[in-house]
Amino acid sequence: MLVFVAVYSFNGCGARDPKFKLYVVEGERLYLTHCSNCHQPDGQGLGLVYPPLASSDFMDKNFEKVICSMKFGLKERIVVNGEVYQQPMPGVSALTELEVAEIATYIYNSWGHNRGMIDVKDMGAVLLRCDSINLTY
Amino acid sequence: MRFLRMMKLRGYSSALLVASLIYSCAPEEKLPIYGERHLVGADTVYHTIAPFQFVNQDSVVIANADMNGKIYVADFFFTTCRTICPIMKTQMLRVYQTTEDMPDVLFLSHTIDPEYDTIALLHDYARRLGVDSRRWNFVNGPKDSVYKIAQTSYFATAMEDKSEPDGFIHSGAFLLIDRLGRIRGKYDGTKAPDVDRLIADIARLRSE
Repeated sequence: MLVFVAVYSFNGCGARDPKFKLYVVEGERLYLTHCSNCHQPDGQGLGLVYPPLASSDFMDKNFEKVICSMKFGLKERIVVNGEVYQQPMPGVSALTELEVAEIATYIYNSWGHNRGMIDVKDMGAVLLRCDSINLTY
Repeated sequence: MRFLRMMKLRGYSSALLVASLIYSCAPEEKLPIYGERHLVGADTVYHTIAPFQFVNQDSVVIANADMNGKIYVADFFFTTCRTICPIMKTQMLRVYQTTEDMPDVLFLSHTIDPEYDTIALLHDYARRLGVDSRRWNFVNGPKDSVYKIAQTSYFATAMEDKSEPDGFIHSGAFLLIDRLGRIRGKYDGTKAPDVDRLIADIARLRSE
C-alpha cells in the first residue's frame, strides 16, 4: 500500500496525476454500484433497452446532460449511435458533486473515451443549470 | 433493509425447497421435483403450476396449455425496476441466447407492475431486447393473479410495497418448469454462476 502511494506521488503531474487515478478508481466503484446494472460493467448497454456508454456519440455531444442525468435522471427519448432509447433513467439523487465527478471521470476515460479528468470544482455550476440544458445532436 | 426483508420472505420457500431436495434426489441424477406431493392410489401427484391466463406482448392469451410439453423458465420483473431486474434480464437473455436452437425451451416473464407495463410497452421492451415472442413471452395479468401465482405456484415473492424505492418487492429467482408443469429448479437470476447451473440443468431436463 505504501509502495503504491509512493509510486503515484513521484508520478504526480499532468493528466495522469494521482488525483486522476483516485477519481478513476472511486468512479469505477460507484459505477459498478449505481450504473452497471443497466449499462453493464463493460459499458455495452443491453440491447436497445439500455444504451451503451462505450462508443456513444450521445456521450460525446451531451457532456453536461450526462452529468445531470446521474443525479436527476433522464426522461426524454434520446438517440445514441442512431438508435432511439426511451427507457426512463432514474437519477441517484444522493450522489455528491465529488461522486458525480468521479463517475464522469471513470466513464469518460474508459472503453476508448479519453476526455481526461473531470474536476469536482466544475460540477456545482453544471448541476445548477440542469433544467436549461438541451439535447445536442 | 430491502434485502433483509427479501431474505426473510424467501426463507419460507427455501425451507420447503430444501425439504423436497432431501428426499427427491434420485440415483440417476434426475433433477429434483419441488413442492408438496401426495399419493393418489399408487401414484404420486406432484405440485404443478396452477391454471393461468395472461396476455403476452403480441396481445395473445398465454395459458398453461401453451407451455404443455415444453420446458420453460419463469421469472417476475417490471421494466422500470432499477435494482435487480436489469441484471436478471441480462442473465435471462444469456440463457435465451444459449438455447436459441432449442424450440422446446421457452421463457415466461411476468410483469408485477401491469398498470405501467402495458402490452404495448412489453411489446416494445421485447423488441428492444431482440427476442422472439415464439420463445419468450412477456405477460401482463391482473396484479392479484400474478402475485398469487408467484407465491403459491412458483414459490417466488412478488408484491407491491410502497415503502420500497421502486414500489415492489420481488425475488430475483428463475424457475425451471418441466414439460408437465412441475418445478425442477430454482436459481438466483442475479448471479451468473447460478444461471450457468440453470443452463446445465436445461440440458439435463431435455434429456430426461
